[in-house]
Amino acid sequence: MNKVIKRDQLVAALDSIAAKYQLIAPVQDESSVLFKPGVAGKDVVLDAVNSTVSPKGTFFPQWETMYTYNMAEADFAVKHPDQGPDRVLFGVRPCDIMAILHIDPVFIGEKFGDFYYEAKRNKTTIIGVSCPSVAHTCFCSTFGGSPTANKGADIMFYDLGDKFAVEVLTDKGKAVAELISKFLTDDAAAPAAVEAKAKELAAQCKPVDVTGVKEFLDGAFEHPYWVELSKKCLNCGVCTYVCPTCHCFDVVDEGYKSEGQRIRCWDSCMAKDFNLAAGGHNTRPSKLEKVRNRFMHKLKYHLDRYNLAGCIGCGRCSQKCPVNLDITQVISDVKAVK
Amino acid sequence: MKSINENLQKQALKMLEGKEVDLIIGWEKGTDLVKTTPVFVDTPEKVNRLTYSPFAVTNLVKYLLDYQNLGDKIGVLVKGCDSRAVNRLIQDNQITKDRVVVLGIPCSGQLDPVKVLPKVDPTADLTGVEDKGDSFVLKTSKGDVTLSKKEFLREKCFACENPNPVVADVLLDKEVAKTSKNNDYADVKALEAMSVEEKNNYWNQQFNRCIRCYACRNACTACSCRECVFDMHEPYWVSKKTTLNDNTVFHLTRAMHVAGRCVDCGECDRVCPVDIPLRKLNQKVLKDIKELFGTPTPGSAAETESALGRFNPDDPEEFM
Ligand code: SF4
Ligand code: SF4
Ligand code: SF4
Ligand code: SF4
Repeated sequence: MNKVIKRDQLVAALDSIAAKYQLIAPVQDESSVLFKPGVAGKDVVLDAVNSTVSPKGTFFPQWETMYTYNMAEADFAVKHPDQGPDRVLFGVRPCDIMAILHIDPVFIGEKFGDFYYEAKRNKTTIIGVSCPSVAHTCFCSTFGGSPTANKGADIMFYDLGDKFAVEVLTDKGKAVAELISKFLTDDAAAPAAVEAKAKELAAQCKPVDVTGVKEFLDGAFEHPYWVELSKKCLNCGVCTYVCPTCHCFDVVDEGYKSEGQRIRCWDSCMAKDFNLAAGGHNTRPSKLEKVRNRFMHKLKYHLDRYNLAGCIGCGRCSQKCPVNLDITQVISDVKAVK
Repeated sequence: MKSINENLQKQALKMLEGKEVDLIIGWEKGTDLVKTTPVFVDTPEKVNRLTYSPFAVTNLVKYLLDYQNLGDKIGVLVKGCDSRAVNRLIQDNQITKDRVVVLGIPCSGQLDPVKVLPKVDPTADLTGVEDKGDSFVLKTSKGDVTLSKKEFLREKCFACENPNPVVADVLLDKEVAKTSKNNDYADVKALEAMSVEEKNNYWNQQFNRCIRCYACRNACTACSCRECVFDMHEPYWVSKKTTLNDNTVFHLTRAMHVAGRCVDCGECDRVCPVDIPLRKLNQKVLKDIKELFGTPTPGSAAETESALGRFNPDDPEEFM
């Protein structure tokens, strides 16, 4: 960690990476900050604490073609699209890296592998950047995260204002670090500065305590609390689409005459057709079942399945929900309604 | 604001105790200073949660649709702009007037949470609000903050047509004087003045960002269809892919479908997580309707001529 890069060298460093890899990084799109592929160093923005939509789309895009077919050709000419070049995902915050680690077992499971996710995951080197400040909605510390955590990153950049301390954590990271080695200088004081920064920022996370929440939810499926809570939900998909850990998808065939493609796209438990089965029955037809499912998934089901938290405290849903249905409120409510 | 809040709780208590209503839909304090959240008050004990402040942004009329087929009598809190939606729902036979008690709030403007956030400590408690005419003074547990309306109001409030509700069974305060200028549709005119290519670029830039979360639709009181085309699989009208093409189809279809029914409450614009300026799109349609058919903003009165709900052989057909 005693290597640093000056902030004013960052654009040049990113461009050296972009010359060899596809660079995926946060850029400004009017008032939103979104991760986009193929960006140039000068367009990368690092001042927003959190991007508007999480970077999970790097591995699990909002929609992707699974295969194309042509029934007029021999063997239907089924083709799987190429999964693209090697890429570097730069500028990911610690909470969003944790989210990737928490959804990995969904797609890279022992029983069921997912070619699409896994291929993109393997082709990607992750460069995390610690948070410049902490938003009032951030509560990553609740789930063992921190604004300076490096877990899951291949390389970690620690934001120290006019410079970044750089820590190379994996072999994949080493290969990318070589591309920017000429921008790195020694700075013996960097580790201490990072530690001080880590302390300062961790203290600013919103204090949210999940002790006992999972145990309560284990027996709360029929609790009247869900009826009350769900009344205000609009069943829009904002919370699930901005969330870094939501991973439900839908598969649709789109074809015309003999040709077509099978696509996979984000789904949301808030969507009307989420649990719609053949014959028209819907197992989660109303606000009640939808809202309950979302919070159960975040705070219980994911723990049941993978022993990993389903929410990592990025605060996006709290920020963006049009009716202020706030997961931190839900956490403190369920502790009180017992 | 103090008198509105006292009156609000007094009236709500009276209505619930007197069984005039089964439920009152209002706002309560949210999880930070710049937010309120909808609250559903069905017992006298919950009345003290009701609050009104310049952060009471949600148009609560949308929730009436959830009670459409139940027998309950519902009290709903509305600001001026929201109140137009009550008229619209009744005109569309979505709900009958005898099922609704409208608690109207004469509104002196709503603050834009995004603009206000950097000026306040969001973790502080909002203990009161004083309306000084040109500004609001927020009394917070961490000190007072004065915010000039000129700088901090929501964009839509600068051209507010109806600061006083157009329909109300109970008015919770004295009517306010209309201080805003008439809507001159300056934003729309600026867009109209662009070349086709510029317009195209402008909207492509916007629609490209859409994540099709459908918050704009779900917050909209005009979107009352039980089955929406964008949710359908058979026929599969619009692809679930978020390509520019599919996004554009979504936006133009929705704009046309709410034409003549959009009450210009601005909710779609407010709820969009990626700030797509939907109000500009709907205002263009609104402006055209006003110019071509001479009808007022939908919902402005209990009975208004509906541009698309009638047929007249002399209708202008400029676009045909
Ligand atoms: S549930 Fe909300 S706070 Fe938790 S990870 Fe998802 S968007 Fe972030
Ligand atoms: S919780 Fe909020 S963001 Fe999520 S679906 Fe409900 S209204 Fe939309
Ligand atoms: S548009 Fe008018 S009624 Fe609506 S919030 Fe603004 S000032 Fe109030
Ligand atoms: S709210 Fe915004 S992002 Fe969501 S569907 Fe509407 S325009 Fe698209």
